[in-house]
Amino acid sequence: MNPRDRLRPAGRRNPVEAIAQQVTERVVDLLVSALDVNELAARIDLNELIGRVDINMILKKVDLNVLLDQVDLNALLARVDLKPLLDRVDVNDLLSQVDVDALVERTDLGAVIARSSGGMAADALDAVRSQTVGLDQFIDRWVQRLLRRKHPAPSAPSALLPAQAEP
Amino acid sequence: MTGQPPPVSYQGHYAGSVSRFTAFAIDLTVSSAVFALALAAISYGVHVVTGNNVSWNRSNIVVAVIFVLWEFVYFGYSWAVSGRTFGMAALGIRVVAADGSVLEPRRGVVRALVFPLSFLLFGLGFLGILVQREHRALHDLIAGSAVIYSWDARAARLRFLARQAELAPPP
Repeated sequence: MNPRDRLRPAGRRNPVEAIAQQVTERVVDLLVSALDVNELAARIDLNELIGRVDINMILKKVDLNVLLDQVDLNALLARVDLKPLLDRVDVNDLLSQVDVDALVERTDLGAVIARSSGGMAADALDAVRSQTVGLDQFIDRWVQRLLRRKHPAPSAPSALLPAQAEP
Repeated sequence: MTGQPPPVSYQGHYAGSVSRFTAFAIDLTVSSAVFALALAAISYGVHVVTGNNVSWNRSNIVVAVIFVLWEFVYFGYSWAVSGRTFGMAALGIRVVAADGSVLEPRRGVVRALVFPLSFLLFGLGFLGILVQREHRALHDLIAGSAVIYSWDARAARLRFLARQAELAPPP
């Protein structure tokens, strides 16, 4: 609303007031045109001004549901480039935090794996392999003791060291 | 299947003596059986065609030479093509280059050719599997190869857990 609108009805009733109003409008126009708004804005301490505003009070008045109803999330997501975001996610680190054992035990994933694996033959082979690995380790420990080696032998060839699974 | 889960993965580690010896024993059994079957098939073929019975004597020099050549082919071809024989595949081990990279076919053939050297002097060449720091036998040192576990025990453990979960009564 233009603040001068309030003066106009009074001006119509009295010619002196009308002249006074015109003079005032002219003075205000001259004043505003002479005013450097940027200079004025630079002098205002916005931080102090914001500090005096109770944002919590404002937020309490905002109906977030209405606000969210007006937001088109699909359009918003369509503008998001997910690739750089995903590039920053360390998937290996993420997966290392997953307890796969518990996942297999508690979900149908276990049944899927059980049905897809080779059955009794695969079980028997796994058992034989794990037994021989255990015997390998047992014999190796005793040989190391008998030879009284101070420095442990390399566990794997150099090219396989970074990729090997932890013992 | 035992009640204990398999050990965690040693994939990529140098394979030990028991795994290697067991794999070799399986290979020797399989290759000998295949050789015997081949001789029997040839005998049968000769009998069908000519009507004569042919018997093979293992002490015959020709048979012995063919057997040795067959063993070279069995081991050499397996190592050159895939880095593992049937027995090694069963035990989950494989031959790689000394640095852990894929074994070149040439090295696989060399390994098969120098393999008998490890039998000399009462099998002293095999002692390296026990005492050498990288578990490399004489033929490994000559051919520039090493034997590692290629078996994914982690996957086996998942199979084991899956089987246990399926067998467990529903809550």
